[in-house]
Amino acid sequence: MPDVNGSRLDEVIAGLRRPVPVDPSFDSRVMRAIRAVARQPMRIIRPLMPIPRWRLYSAFAAVAAGMLAVAVLPAMRHPKGQPVQFVLVAPDAKTVQVVGDFNGWDANHAQYAAANRGGGVWSLTTPIPPGHHRYAFLVDDSLWVPDPAAPRVADEDFGLPNSALVVEDNDTP
Amino acid sequence: MDGSADALIVERVLNGDVEAFAILVDRYRDRCARYAMHMLGNREDADEVLQDAFVRAYRSLSRCEDPERFGAWLFRILVNRCRTAGARRARRARTFLADDTALLTASEEHPAEQWAWREEIERALAELRPEQREAFLLKYVEGIGYDEMAELTGVGVSALKMRVMRACDRLRVLLKEVRSA
Repeated sequence: MPDVNGSRLDEVIAGLRRPVPVDPSFDSRVMRAIRAVARQPMRIIRPLMPIPRWRLYSAFAAVAAGMLAVAVLPAMRHPKGQPVQFVLVAPDAKTVQVVGDFNGWDANHAQYAAANRGGGVWSLTTPIPPGHHRYAFLVDDSLWVPDPAAPRVADEDFGLPNSALVVEDNDTP
Repeated sequence: MDGSADALIVERVLNGDVEAFAILVDRYRDRCARYAMHMLGNREDADEVLQDAFVRAYRSLSRCEDPERFGAWLFRILVNRCRTAGARRARRARTFLADDTALLTASEEHPAEQWAWREEIERALAELRPEQREAFLLKYVEGIGYDEMAELTGVGVSALKMRVMRACDRLRVLLKEVRSA
């Protein structure tokens, strides 16, 4: 205990030790997100991936050659955030999903599935809450691809290659 | 809930029993929620950071070097996430316990006077510099020793002691100001 002479610090500490209310749906939300992650091969974050090397190279080459970055659309306001367009050129891909901290890294969230626009171009426009975000593309449920046209961030916890996104808050003066 | 040691549950999860992770969520949810709530001062942000910490822990479970100390490892992730979230929202105005449900719950559980006192504490806590608030919460609310705090935060023991001391001094002043107001 700190020195509490003449202060209310001991009361403060006792008060702060009391439990805080947690949303009753918290556990089920977390487990839903975790089940979604579990459906993806966890080996995507390991050095040796069971993905043919040529596919990996071709995906990155396609990315480097033709990919557009994240583009923040003009000031259309959305109740859940600002619309952001994610674009990836991945000619060999069968599916492309956007995963990030804004969707709990949920790889099965239908709202974040990119659509094939033809010519190997995949895109998704969806509202993203204002703030700083990390994200990546998940190609064919197995290949983790940071957006090469966006700034890269090293995940400070685990070294995963993610991209950075800043969404301005138009409500803030 | 399952009373198995953390290491056994971690092993089950790594062997494919995803649902076993719910035991760890149940075991550490309340403690982590308390820290996130006091650190961020906003229930919505705390909830988001808490979920993010658990999902990150699951994703990196194979890198948990000492599964017996899963709780400490998870807490380190949470502390990092709180730092990131705190920096992100530093430019935004802080709102304390802005959640109506939390207000109602608190009001039902405690008399008005006690609620006012609790709010007073939250406000005083918010006045601390983030690194002082972090050190104070880890030391006196979570009851973590300085060596483990140093491991958690990457900050030296001497610096942590200084932060805790300054946090205590500042809190004393703030609470005295409120009392005499």
